[in-house]
Amino acid sequence: MLNRAAKRGGLSAGELVSNARSKVLDLQTREADPAADAEALRQLALWGLRYSPIATPWDESSGADGLFIDIAGCAHLFGGEARLLADLDRRLRAFGLVPRLAIADTAGASWAMAHYGEAQRAIVSSGQEASALSPLSLAALRLPEGTLSLLGRLGLRRIGEVIGQPRAPFAARFESLLLRLDQALGRAPEPLAPIVPPPVYRAQATFVEPIERAEHVLEAATRLLVHLAQDLERNAAGARSVRLMLFRLDGRVQSVEIGLAAPSSDARHITRLIALRLDRVADALDADFGFEAAAVHVLVAEPLADRQTRLSMDEAAAPPEALAQLIDRLQQRLGHGAMRQLHPHQSHIPERAVRAHSPSPRASPTTPQAPATRREGRGEGQQHTPTSVSVPAPHPNPLSASGERGSGRRALQWTADAPSAPRPLLLLPRPEAAEVVALIPEGPPRQFRWRGVLHQVTGAQGPERIAPEWWRRISGDVERDYYVVEDTIGRRFWLYRAGLYGRGSEVPPAWFVHGVFG
Amino acid sequence: MRCVANIAGFPTSWEGAKRERIAALRKAVEGLQAAPAPGRAGDDLASVAPRQGPHGPVWGLPADLACGALNELVAAHGDRPAAFGFLFTLTALGLKARAGPAVFVAARRALAEFGAPYGHGLAQLGLEVGRLILIETKTDKDALWALEETLRSQAVATVAGVIEGGLDLTSSRRLNLAAAPQRTPLVLLRGAKARASAAATRWRIAAAPAARDRFGAFAHWRWQVTLERCRNGRPGQWLIEWNHVTHRFRLVEGLADRPPVAGASLRRAG
Repeated sequence: MLNRAAKRGGLSAGELVSNARSKVLDLQTREADPAADAEALRQLALWGLRYSPIATPWDESSGADGLFIDIAGCAHLFGGEARLLADLDRRLRAFGLVPRLAIADTAGASWAMAHYGEAQRAIVSSGQEASALSPLSLAALRLPEGTLSLLGRLGLRRIGEVIGQPRAPFAARFESLLLRLDQALGRAPEPLAPIVPPPVYRAQATFVEPIERAEHVLEAATRLLVHLAQDLERNAAGARSVRLMLFRLDGRVQSVEIGLAAPSSDARHITRLIALRLDRVADALDADFGFEAAAVHVLVAEPLADRQTRLSMDEAAAPPEALAQLIDRLQQRLGHGAMRQLHPHQSHIPERAVRAHSPSPRASPTTPQAPATRREGRGEGQQHTPTSVSVPAPHPNPLSASGERGSGRRALQWTADAPSAPRPLLLLPRPEAAEVVALIPEGPPRQFRWRGVLHQVTGAQGPERIAPEWWRRISGDVERDYYVVEDTIGRRFWLYRAGLYGRGSEVPPAWFVHGVFG
Repeated sequence: MRCVANIAGFPTSWEGAKRERIAALRKAVEGLQAAPAPGRAGDDLASVAPRQGPHGPVWGLPADLACGALNELVAAHGDRPAAFGFLFTLTALGLKARAGPAVFVAARRALAEFGAPYGHGLAQLGLEVGRLILIETKTDKDALWALEETLRSQAVATVAGVIEGGLDLTSSRRLNLAAAPQRTPLVLLRGAKARASAAATRWRIAAAPAARDRFGAFAHWRWQVTLERCRNGRPGQWLIEWNHVTHRFRLVEGLADRPPVAGASLRRAG
């Protein structure tokens, strides 16, 4: 990579440093650091999101030294294309960069004008690509080195010389040339891969004075969200995923993304979630000299079902969205995975028979509430009418949409599919070894020592034999004989003997404590 | 001269402003304190739960749990699992009586010793596991925050929590205030470290040998509960038994229903 002074000195990339030094005596060299370059370019592209929701840093084939911003429909926000370019130029210069800028209908044309155009800022008006590109060198078409030199030997140096030529002779040997030419002239598509997924809804504000304090950031976010909420309401949509982007004065961009358990267009609720998240990542967010602009993007929006506000006479009932909002708030502060809901799973192995999923209240506001009437005639209990039940469908798992995991299989139920033998209230994370004394080898424990405490067993119930699942055989899995035992104080434990006697092994089966009862 | 007068006048007016402000704050605090009004008729689970009879205790519990205020559980030494059991029976009762889900909040350390609640075990206790949301937090502080937030959302039937350490006056008062508007039942199992708290009731739970059926199998779980503190009731000590089918506690009489005594202690007695 050479700066302008070096180019003026007649140097070119790929030259030996010793040769270069002989040409330019006061040459300064630095080690190339492509990773850092790429990161800097990425940051710049993120910064470029302040102009438009779609920005793409150039990949290797485009030189990896600049970025595209898709300003379709955005220019008028900055007072037209010329003003936008001027603004971009001014801000980039403030970062210490010397930019070359071009606006054109196609990415290829703008790339060519930015690299080989005469002016430092160029605007190609619509339909003028061919005439604007004609005087430029063929290198402006982002062609590979080999193709360029071959074309040079054929005497073709300028784009204009190729544009008028018949295509057929070129198509055989210079496919890339035709593709790039078509892309530059808008005859072939050139899709841009946006650096971040473009939002569905977007609101942005630029501040007169940079803001630093968290409250101010929140205030700005609130205003943007209130603005967005109108759009969302008009489309009867709610946000499921929201990103807050903060543009720092030095060009860095910081963003906070939050997910919602249920679609919401409630600005206050979303702001609260952002506040909770900012609390949690307070260290990661560094205002430095302040933020000059903020944008709120709605990344995922889903239709918001119309809801009846209140027909029930029951004033005490919580609105159905209260639970969804609660789950959101808790998840923002405590992190994902902190909230769980248990679901039965088809397995005899105790530790596999229960699965935890994060709760999703999505089903609860939308599912028909009729099945909630599981209230038997029961005196005062009747005051809760079915419509007031915020989580309907009493069995098996009203919070999570059982239909979502929808396979053809019947959803398991806690009551109907439960094991008939007793199960402990608390299951140890992993079985812990215990020293057991039993009267007969295959009998229940008589006394056992666990965690250093000796327990005399007064009663035992069992055994319940649980065989390993042969279809997912894991080495070391053996039959377990479970016993519920009670000691003299009344504490109850769930013990098992791993393995059977008389299998030819000299080592007697070991005992483990697997859980405790309430 | 004028300047001096101003300065001299300043403190008195400032004092006055301060006094006014304090008076206003006092008033606000009084208003807040009036809100929960513990001890009012209908403030216990009796208002939402079926009574056993005209004079029988609610659900067979010898004393009423306070609704809309903090109920503390303390485990006797080494009997934390038993306290968990009692906690979840109360959660099952709350779920039975009220609409909405139940929320169980636990600090990670509090679950480290005996593991996490097991679905099938909860179901066998008579609890509707599908309506239970488990929340695991890193610290006690987060757990208290989650408890308060859950109570304030007013979207849940009942709230239960387990924290490792003690509970101070401020946080227990906050929980009381948060639980009051919807009279949400709140049961919190806390560490043994005794500290002053604003709990309405405090129960000490110890394990007790389970009731057996005539074949000698375990039929009903039992606990030795001690009501150590109660705002409008009499403390006492009882042996109670939980029937997971009828969702009812039963007082166990002193002489009858005694579980079979271990052979070892029989021999010692003889």
